[in-house]
Amino acid sequence: MSNRSKGWGIAVAACVGLWLVQNGSQDITPPVPSAAQAFAAGPSVHTDAAADPLPPSAPVRLRIPETDVDTPMMRLGLAANGTLDVPPAGDRNLAGWYGDGITPGAKGAAIVAGHVDNAQGPAVFYTLGALKKGHRIEVDRQDGRTAVFTVDAVEVYANEEFPDKKVYGETDRAEIRVITCGGGFSKKNGYQGNVVAFGHLIGVR
Amino acid sequence: MRTLARLFTGTALTVAAIGAFAAPAAYANNENDNDRGFQSLEVYPSSATPGETITVNTLACGKHGHGVGDANSLGAGEFQLESSTHKEVVVGQFRVPEHVKPGTYGISVACDNGKTARGDLTVKHRNPSGHVQTGVGGSVGPDSAQVTAGAAVLAAAAVGGVWLLRRRASGAQGH
Repeated sequence: MSNRSKGWGIAVAACVGLWLVQNGSQDITPPVPSAAQAFAAGPSVHTDAAADPLPPSAPVRLRIPETDVDTPMMRLGLAANGTLDVPPAGDRNLAGWYGDGITPGAKGAAIVAGHVDNAQGPAVFYTLGALKKGHRIEVDRQDGRTAVFTVDAVEVYANEEFPDKKVYGETDRAEIRVITCGGGFSKKNGYQGNVVAFGHLIGVR
Repeated sequence: MRTLARLFTGTALTVAAIGAFAAPAAYANNENDNDRGFQSLEVYPSSATPGETITVNTLACGKHGHGVGDANSLGAGEFQLESSTHKEVVVGQFRVPEHVKPGTYGISVACDNGKTARGDLTVKHRNPSGHVQTGVGGSVGPDSAQVTAGAAVLAAAAVGGVWLLRRRASGAQGH
């Protein structure tokens, strides 16, 4: 190998190194759902029929097989300002459900929330924005049954434009909402929105 | 025929008018209760969430009457009904307790005059509002593995460059 080609090799390596350092220095943020996962893009090609709602029973565990989520569930109340309380930030693998609302599997929209990250790094719903229509959400309940939901849409909303009725409002079938932070991050204002996965009950195990 | 129709219309209007004066529309909801000896109890709002204050009123207790309300079905205890500025009704209030399960609950009132009134209250669960606070940005940051790899490649290139330059220099000396 000539010295000239060795020189070229070293120059290319230097460029690659520079690119790696420069590119890697940019902030990585949690996945954001694409427009194709929104309701506006239409239903999934293969949409399972809705299953009959179950009687109420508290959830104990939630799993999202596609993204390796497997988390215990805690009961959540409302904060003084009417917003949903969230699980303690110290526990990176813990989700909560709105305890005075619908239980997952019963008729209506069950509300589930969890952290996208905490001060130490990614948390239970870091990958929520990567969910796609047709993915499964499974909830183990106290009555021994597992409610299986299919994802209908994954949407992202700016904090000040959060659609209360769409997310928290009444529904005719058994549905679920899984909520976490997302949609852009600034050091000054934190996360600028919420990612919400919408699903409906398709089966019971 | 036309007079008959007019007569019916007139009668209907009169009945409606009497109904309107005697009792607002809401009182008419529980006509079946009247058959069982209960008078109707107006519950406002008839559908509420935990923490809300409910106002009930009834004609059953009569003018300047008094009654005792029973909201034990939803754990709100008893409450008093006093005559109001509308002298013909008695009015009372109670609060929906925080941890009542959603459902329909019967509210009854026992008047001092011996009459009773009943009505229903539907408790709905309260929905949250607004976005959730579920992240602080601890996952946001540079890709340290990539930066480390880049730095290693750069360092290797630098070492290689120095080695090449020195070889070239020594090669030139050899001539």
